[in-house]
Amino acid sequence: MRVGLVSPYDFASPGGVNDHVRNLAVRLQELGHESRIFAPSSRADVGFDKARFYRIGTPIAIPVNDSVARITLSFHLANQVAAIVADERFDVLHFHEPLMPALPMTMLRMSTTANVGTFHAFATSNVGYYYGRLLLQPYLTHLHRAIAVSEPARAFVNRYFPEFPMRVIPNGIDLDVYRPGLAPIRHLRDDNLNILFVGRLEKRKGLGDLLRAYRAMGSRVPRVRLIIVGDGPLRGRVESYIARHRLANVVMAGYVPDSVKPRYYNSADIFCAPATGAESFGIVLLEALASGLPVVATEVPGYMSVLEPGRDSITVPPKNWRELAASLVILARDPQLRTRLADYALEKARRYSWKLVASEVVEIYQDARKALAAEPVPTLEVSSVHHAV
Amino acid sequence: MGEWTWRAFKIVQSIVERLPRSWAYAVAVLAARIAWWFSPLARPRLEFNLKIACPELERDPAELRRISKLNFRHHAKAYADLMQLPRARVESMRMRLKVQGWEHVDAARAEGKGALVVSCHMGSYEVVAAIWSATLAPVSFFAEELEPRALFEWYRDTRARLGISVLTLDHGGIRKVLEALRDQEMVITAIDRDITGTGYLMPFFGKLAPIPLGPAAIALRLGTPLFPVCVYRLPDDTYMAEGTPLIYAKSTGNARADQVSATEQLLRRIEGFIQRHPEQWHVPHRIWTGSP
Repeated sequence: MRVGLVSPYDFASPGGVNDHVRNLAVRLQELGHESRIFAPSSRADVGFDKARFYRIGTPIAIPVNDSVARITLSFHLANQVAAIVADERFDVLHFHEPLMPALPMTMLRMSTTANVGTFHAFATSNVGYYYGRLLLQPYLTHLHRAIAVSEPARAFVNRYFPEFPMRVIPNGIDLDVYRPGLAPIRHLRDDNLNILFVGRLEKRKGLGDLLRAYRAMGSRVPRVRLIIVGDGPLRGRVESYIARHRLANVVMAGYVPDSVKPRYYNSADIFCAPATGAESFGIVLLEALASGLPVVATEVPGYMSVLEPGRDSITVPPKNWRELAASLVILARDPQLRTRLADYALEKARRYSWKLVASEVVEIYQDARKALAAEPVPTLEVSSVHHAV
Repeated sequence: MGEWTWRAFKIVQSIVERLPRSWAYAVAVLAARIAWWFSPLARPRLEFNLKIACPELERDPAELRRISKLNFRHHAKAYADLMQLPRARVESMRMRLKVQGWEHVDAARAEGKGALVVSCHMGSYEVVAAIWSATLAPVSFFAEELEPRALFEWYRDTRARLGISVLTLDHGGIRKVLEALRDQEMVITAIDRDITGTGYLMPFFGKLAPIPLGPAAIALRLGTPLFPVCVYRLPDDTYMAEGTPLIYAKSTGNARADQVSATEQLLRRIEGFIQRHPEQWHVPHRIWTGSP
């Protein structure tokens, strides 16, 4: 099959949806399918095979869902996209966040092939979906099959489009990349217990709660280190909090290249994901589980669709730094518990292997093609013939 | 470096890291000119070292001045590179690194005992190691612990972000070096300066200087090949990492003599690197007695 994957987000910026698209493109290629990626990009070099990447539009930053979405809003994409799509003759176009302007919506409107949509997002509400329901509904009818990455993501879409059918296929993880036994960052492997945070430094990721919890646990766990991997708009505030409270042993790693990130997981003892909400899945949880790390996370719907509290993780209510600190202390003081959770985490991560996930996605592609074939062929109207002549 | 110097460094660094590379280099070149004219010790020490490394410069003061000025300029550019590392997208910097002698890396890997990369303070070795580590294979730096602590931590975290482990020159650090080599990693160190003050006096450019025997001692203990590598900047501001054939430390039963013998072989290679690129040998420090 020839598959076009469409992402609305700046492909040069790190993010869950783009990681998903990138990995899916690679896996499809491994399964013998031809894949191409369409996305806006702020840079020419996006670390992906240039022959298989179409850079469409220039992204701008827009605040969405307590975060910043870097998407293109250009209205002049249609001609460029139409020429490429006509040339490539895709069997399937796979839209990630199909209702996100402007690239996925433009391509979906003009597509005549089998269309598949994947919904990644989750939030407590969405003003765009609420007020734009009537406008967006026709776009959904263009989709022959739809996927949600988790149950909360599916419920979120169904809240605004109740009858819209979706199948839940989770995000995948590359078990060759994220695994135990990789070279750690050696100077971080000392007699300190390392707590790892990975994510963009923005409010919804809950790093503020983790910093408060870390401050509180300092007196109860003497040799502990907090490693913060990621960059973002709150970096300055995080650094000033650390300086103001003289937090010892905090490593601000900043943006870490994908090639190095698995080594940070291998340098940690506990993974902490303190998000305050608006997470539909949490790929970082899969990365941690696959690296054999016990997890302390907040009970936000997206995380709870991945985690099994007591088996691979300890979970606490969101925005509750005291319980977060208590859970971290329990785990820090109990190496046997850490080992037990880590063992189960490793076993569980296999279920999310990209090999399995990509095969499920290919099944959906085949269903979508059948659905397209079953559609009645549009009859040629007299006016159309007149124009053609 | 004192607390206030560190704070000044951090302010300059946070400005430089936001600049485009060409602007950062322009600032670096300006700073190099000022430092060359006004540094009380760095320039006399550097020129003293250069005259020993390249005796022909003793008779040619104009050429010495030119090389010394260029040296400051390259050194400042290397600092600019370092200051830009925290925000650098190293994946996209891969094309700036050229590697010669890749077959020696393969030969070292085939041994299965890691590789002890031995070099000198030349070129933008920080950036080259970062690109290497983030895109090719994990590396560890075997390096001094800087003062103040905050500066050392900044160096360490900046390097770690790109996958470089920073191992200090103490017992804990040596233990980790052995671990890294046993896991077949590359460990990078420089032997043109004796930082810990425990070096062994041996001829370096024909004049006795204290030289660390640590790399040779580790190579003898683990059977790890020693890999002399020269790193320098090319005229288009890209980087060259030039590997030379591996050196194997041979054991004859006399540990000290074996260490000295292997280190002598390393020094001959390093002398060759420095003589080919004296304008990029950034050592405004005391190496030999008699230095200002």
